[in-house]
Amino acid sequence: KRRKVTESSEEIERRLESLICRVGEKSSSSLESNLEGLATVLEADLPNFKSQILQILVLCSYQLPEKCSIYTTLVGLLNVRNYNCGGEFVEMMLRELKRLISTNQFDYARYMVQFLSDLVNCNLVTPTSLISLYNIFISVTRQDSLQSRKDWYVYAVLSSLPWAGSALSEKHSVEVATLFDNIRKYIVRRDKSHQEFLRVWSTDDPHPQEEYLDCLFAQVCKLREDGWIEDVIIRPYRAFPVLANALQHDLPDFVVPPYIAEASLYPIPQVIFRMFDYTDCPEGPLIPGNHAIERWLIEEQLRNTVRHFKELIKKRRCADQTSSGFSWPREKRFPLNHNDFPVYPMVMYTAVFIELCKLQPSMIPQVLAIASDMLYERLDTMNITCTDRFVNWFSQHLSNFQFRWSWDDWSDCLSCDPASPKPKFIKEVLEKSMRLSYHKRICDAVPQDFAALVPVEPKIEFKYDFKLGPDHSQEERAAYNASQRVITAIKTKCKEDELIIMLEDIHQEESNIDGSTFSLPRLEVFLQSLLFLAQKSFSHSFSAIFKFHKVLKWAGDGEEGKVAILGITKDVWKNHPQMMGVLVDKMIRMQVVDCASVAKWIFSPNMADDFTRLYVWEIMHSTIRKMNKHVIKIEAELGEMRSKAQVSEKKSEDEEDDLMNTYNIFAPNQDDLQRMQDQLETANGEQKKLFLIIFQRFIMILSDHLVRCDAGHTNFNTPWYRNAIQRLQEIFLLHKDTVKKYMSTMENLLFTMDLDTRILSVFKQFLSVAN
Amino acid sequence: SRIQQEKLLQQSSTLYVGNLSYYTTEEQIYELFSKCGDLKRVVMGLDKFKRTPCGFCFVEYVERLSAVNAVRYINGTRLDDRVVRTDWDAGFKEGRQFGRG
Repeated sequence: KRRKVTESSEEIERRLESLICRVGEKSSSSLESNLEGLATVLEADLPNFKSQILQILVLCSYQLPEKCSIYTTLVGLLNVRNYNCGGEFVEMMLRELKRLISTNQFDYARYMVQFLSDLVNCNLVTPTSLISLYNIFISVTRQDSLQSRKDWYVYAVLSSLPWAGSALSEKHSVEVATLFDNIRKYIVRRDKSHQEFLRVWSTDDPHPQEEYLDCLFAQVCKLREDGWIEDVIIRPYRAFPVLANALQHDLPDFVVPPYIAEASLYPIPQVIFRMFDYTDCPEGPLIPGNHAIERWLIEEQLRNTVRHFKELIKKRRCADQTSSGFSWPREKRFPLNHNDFPVYPMVMYTAVFIELCKLQPSMIPQVLAIASDMLYERLDTMNITCTDRFVNWFSQHLSNFQFRWSWDDWSDCLSCDPASPKPKFIKEVLEKSMRLSYHKRICDAVPQDFAALVPVEPKIEFKYDFKLGPDHSQEERAAYNASQRVITAIKTKCKEDELIIMLEDIHQEESNIDGSTFSLPRLEVFLQSLLFLAQKSFSHSFSAIFKFHKVLKWAGDGEEGKVAILGITKDVWKNHPQMMGVLVDKMIRMQVVDCASVAKWIFSPNMADDFTRLYVWEIMHSTIRKMNKHVIKIEAELGEMRSKAQVSEKKSEDEEDDLMNTYNIFAPNQDDLQRMQDQLETANGEQKKLFLIIFQRFIMILSDHLVRCDAGHTNFNTPWYRNAIQRLQEIFLLHKDTVKKYMSTMENLLFTMDLDTRILSVFKQFLSVAN
Repeated sequence: SRIQQEKLLQQSSTLYVGNLSYYTTEEQIYELFSKCGDLKRVVMGLDKFKRTPCGFCFVEYVERLSAVNAVRYINGTRLDDRVVRTDWDAGFKEGRQFGRG
């Protein structure tokens, strides 16, 4: 094949993009010579491809933050060769920065500020104009606005100072001092009640749970005191004396985008997750202290690597990066911090750790074992959401390594209160492990004395599974016989209507006042028998519900009937939480039950024994998510319909040809829109009702508990109480954007001033998170 | 045709899952694959003659993104001590659950 002599411009663009994106990766020649070479290539292409080249560089500035100073050096070198392009680049950067902030892409925007700051080191940007930009950012703290908004601007400045602090202080120490004073003024007067809400551990022993902005401010202050000396950031520009003679640009003026209610979503505050300090790894390099900037810089690098992992999909490559990135062998981040929740699926972390174990079998398994031990030891004070994540990760990890674990090291849990976190953790781990495996295997995997914590075999509990005897009551006989008739009817493939007639026969009762066809004994006979016949697998059970959908809706009619359906299903499958989870999911999708009835059922006496179990809360959250997705779907449909209607309206004004008139016949009209609008209102109403039920029931059971304890002079702070109150926090946090919609209703109806302060404070803390 | 097939694959939320143990159950598949999102259904692959599981299945998600994540994060991990392999599938059709045995 002959080589093509000329490249098309598309090919050139692609080649340039690949060259730029790859600079700084492993290579046989030095980084300096690669940068020099690339700058020469780009310079040659600038006359024809300037906007493309600058565009790519702008993208790299925030999408590849781990190579920040490599790209600032490259742009610096280009600026030396072509002064105008440096100016254009800076202008493009600020336009993009504005766009990123306005579209809530705050991480990217922060990387961009970092990049702009580092450009001072390459003599591309004047220090005074950078200081002005910082001052504009800090001036936001003096506006009357949300704390989360002010926080972001302060955080963006603080996280850039490790890059630019040294250069700025050299000639502008007075301005820098003023900047620090202004930041300090803000830091000391912030509301920090969210800290209680967000911390992973309820104690500061052994590691303090610091508020994120406080912590970074302390780290940056210490860096300043130490003369801005750190050894994590690579600074390739130092190898290019030519940059010293470069001509600088002033950053263009920047106007901070305004806050727009309901559209601006600033990042929520965080509490720094700490698990190790230098005493945990006596050999090897020391882990930097909590207030050393190196700690933050390394955490930042790890965050970037994890982010890459998700974007690149190339698992092996990222695991490679992660393991080679460990300058401190035992510093290991765990996927526990519940603020990270929505960003990555939990399984991603499991996959990374499995991959790491394969890559470094002599080190990582040992590190994970030590870390697991530490987490286990600190379970008593660990937040429940984090414990859940620990359960999920640990069980899936074990299932990849033949369930081998030195369980005996954890046998202290056998003598604890069974309601306390350690035995509960082991129980949940074994339950999840069993779901990925089978009962016997888990029994064999743990020592004999752990038997009490091994889940029971997931078998069915059929109410009429007995032989009729003389000591059975009249009622029991009737129910038993009825069940037998239902079973025979289903086995002989009866039709739904026939079954309804038969069931009407079985329980002839006075009709309900509200006209509902629900009767508990009838529903119980039918549903117990149906689930019994379909017990063989999930698929069998789904088919059964599908086939007798009409009967089930008829027998479990109304709000009460729906809650009863869930209660009976739980009676049948009380030993099989996984079955409960999938059946509830299917029943909601098939509209046999609704989201509100699931919430009522979870808080009902039927579920009291299981209230603190993990599976219950998985069902709760998945139900809320389904509700939210439903609302979002209808919102989207309505939006689409509106835009179609607008198109048709506009066209009918402009032109009057046949084509448009015929289009209008099919375009959505006012009736269609109204119908969709009604649907959305219904869905919104259901969503609001769901949240109000959940919070109202929480308030009821928690108040009940507190009143009972106070009256009996017993300590209210029991394991059950801690569990329940943290589940309440979890509902707020995991669904914060939806909950926010109903804040004022809740404040007026539920979280009122006369409520016990121990419950009310949860709401108050959430306000601090959400604002 | 091939183009149609590829188009289907691009929009699919169904995975073919292979290299399973014959003893792996529908319940286990549910548990593992639910970690990436809500499942629409699981269809176990069956031996054509004996009608017993024979080492593969189809997993269909409610949303495509869940399937994307399963390919990223579950493919290559273990279930019942066997390395699970996932592949995009254009969509399950009745009859395809019967393997060669």
